[in-house]
Amino acid sequence: MADFFLQALGQVSSPSVLALIIIGVLFGIIGGSIPGFTVTMAILVVFPFTFAMDPVSGVSLMVGVFVGGYSGGIVSGVMLGIPGTPSSITTVYDGYPMAQKGEPGRALGIGVAASFIGTLISVAVLVFFGPLIASFSMNFRPWEITALIVFALTLVAGLSNGALLKGLLAAALGLLITTVGYDRNSNLRFDFGIPALGSGFEILPVMIGIFAFSQLMGNLEKLRDDQGKAKGVDTNVTIPYGRIAKDMAGQKLNTLRSALIGSLVGALPGTGGTVANFISYDQAKKFSRQPETFGTGTPSGIVASEASNSAVAGGAFVPTLALGIPGDLPMAIMMGVLILHGITPGPLMFEQNPILVGAIYASLLIGAVIMVLCQLLLVRWFAKISLIPQEVLVPVVLMLCAIGSYALNNNLFDIWVLFVFGVIGYLLWKAEVPLTPLILGVVLGNNLERQLFRALELDDSWMTFLTRPLSALFLALAVASVIFSLYQDRKIQRNRQQAQVNDA
Amino acid sequence: MSGTSSDSRPQGREPVPHGERAKAVGHIVFNLALLGIAVMMFVHAGGLPSSAWEPIGSGSFPRLMLALLALLSVLMIIKEAAKLRHTSALPSGSVGDWVWRHRLAFGVLGLFTLYAIAMPLVGFRWATLPFVLACQVLLGARRPRQLAIAAAIALFMSVGLDALFRHVFTISLPRGALL
Repeated sequence: MADFFLQALGQVSSPSVLALIIIGVLFGIIGGSIPGFTVTMAILVVFPFTFAMDPVSGVSLMVGVFVGGYSGGIVSGVMLGIPGTPSSITTVYDGYPMAQKGEPGRALGIGVAASFIGTLISVAVLVFFGPLIASFSMNFRPWEITALIVFALTLVAGLSNGALLKGLLAAALGLLITTVGYDRNSNLRFDFGIPALGSGFEILPVMIGIFAFSQLMGNLEKLRDDQGKAKGVDTNVTIPYGRIAKDMAGQKLNTLRSALIGSLVGALPGTGGTVANFISYDQAKKFSRQPETFGTGTPSGIVASEASNSAVAGGAFVPTLALGIPGDLPMAIMMGVLILHGITPGPLMFEQNPILVGAIYASLLIGAVIMVLCQLLLVRWFAKISLIPQEVLVPVVLMLCAIGSYALNNNLFDIWVLFVFGVIGYLLWKAEVPLTPLILGVVLGNNLERQLFRALELDDSWMTFLTRPLSALFLALAVASVIFSLYQDRKIQRNRQQAQVNDA
Repeated sequence: MSGTSSDSRPQGREPVPHGERAKAVGHIVFNLALLGIAVMMFVHAGGLPSSAWEPIGSGSFPRLMLALLALLSVLMIIKEAAKLRHTSALPSGSVGDWVWRHRLAFGVLGLFTLYAIAMPLVGFRWATLPFVLACQVLLGARRPRQLAIAAAIALFMSVGLDALFRHVFTISLPRGALL
């Protein structure tokens, strides 16, 4: 692997790929720093620009966006008190109060340093565990893979905050979308009378439509709520390097713990930066000798939040590369991107595309260094850019989504696919149906059907899924995740009723 | 650019009257529609050919998903219908209020529909320019300075991006059948 890594490092270090990583990181930070834009949206918007690139260049650019995006949320969190991405919510708890006390540069500097170390630790986790899990999963047969996908989908659906039924419904809908068009035996299943649907839906316009439209339309519903806050923000920030070095020296354990939490949470399907953010912040508070300072502008809070959400980047690559199962929504989109570049993530990727795996490691490392330099040198500009109003953002992003959908196959029909799934996504979002299980269903649907088919072809008894130990284990975990989320749903319901009684 | 001069009411913050009932009704309508679609597709999938030498036919996997979807929709309808008993009837004008609260989103979706229709006819450049400009005006760019910035952004995003994709990425965006 070391040879391949050095080879990949050589490719990634070429001036053209380095320039792409810099552009990706810059765009990611900008995307992450604009409230309501998110890392996922940044990835979707940049994707069409990779069509004409070779896989290493394209993936390096996307990884750059990924690294920049996870660290970008800190800018608007500290300056405006509005998290740029959901994964930087807890950054606001201490970053904004610190900025309000006249130390925005210190808050940003601590956050950036924690992000950097978090990313490095997560890359180490990825380098160590990625190949290990991949070599273990090489033994998986169709029964195990089918059961693992079912487990991932139920886990993601169950984590949909008090909405198990809706989560499962979304996953089923996502899987169903992949059955449109001709099947493996050239039988036309569904085309709704539209010949262009014979080849099925392209993943990209479906994903962009479902995610981007719901996000942007949601932003429009609260338009003007945040803009009053944006007025009169002082974007002149100076970074006190000495003070930050001293702050970080006292945060070694907190940084390590938070980065490990972020890596672990990132590796679990369906969790992502937001969950990592809250768990890490909560743990830092519990371990702190001064828990009462949390929420008032303490460096520990910023470190816990930023080290964990940035560590998600490396952690989330573990199941995606090793098992072919994405850890969270941005990674589901990233996996779609890899598939569209002709690369199938999964255990075989380590054997068939070792240079590309090495390029991902190298891009993460180089991206982290570039992220720190960009954030520290250009923070003032990022703060200004984060004030871009929705009236500019919405049409520009929608237009870029249309380009992305069209340019994939130079097919205007895909713009209509984007629009229809945009409306569906918006309706689902309005109905509070979680979109992550749906997108995961779309990404994993074809593989699930293929593996189920293979399993039944090898042995037509459905019982084999229960007699093979690993397959049975995954299915048991799937059932357990459903039972656990049912219990969680009831608990949330009870708490709501209790709150209503108390209010009355 | 950060200031908006829109005369629109602030959205999202005003209390939604009888929100719980409206939500429950919305969920029931949504899931009934989903159930109807699932049943129709399930029947259609039943007619798909099955192979004598393959374990599952063309319609088996979609039917499995559709059955699951239908079952979940029914469960959702039962769950939401139970909530209707605890809430009072919606006051008249609720639907109008709802549409008013979502007017910007519907406006943008309407403009996007026109954009998608215009793209094959007039090409990327001349469809994008008015779309980006009109969206910005709809969402609040009304003062001369804001309009000038909106026009500059629209010009860059249409003509500029077209040139970037054509000459740098060698991807040709639609030229337009009428041009």
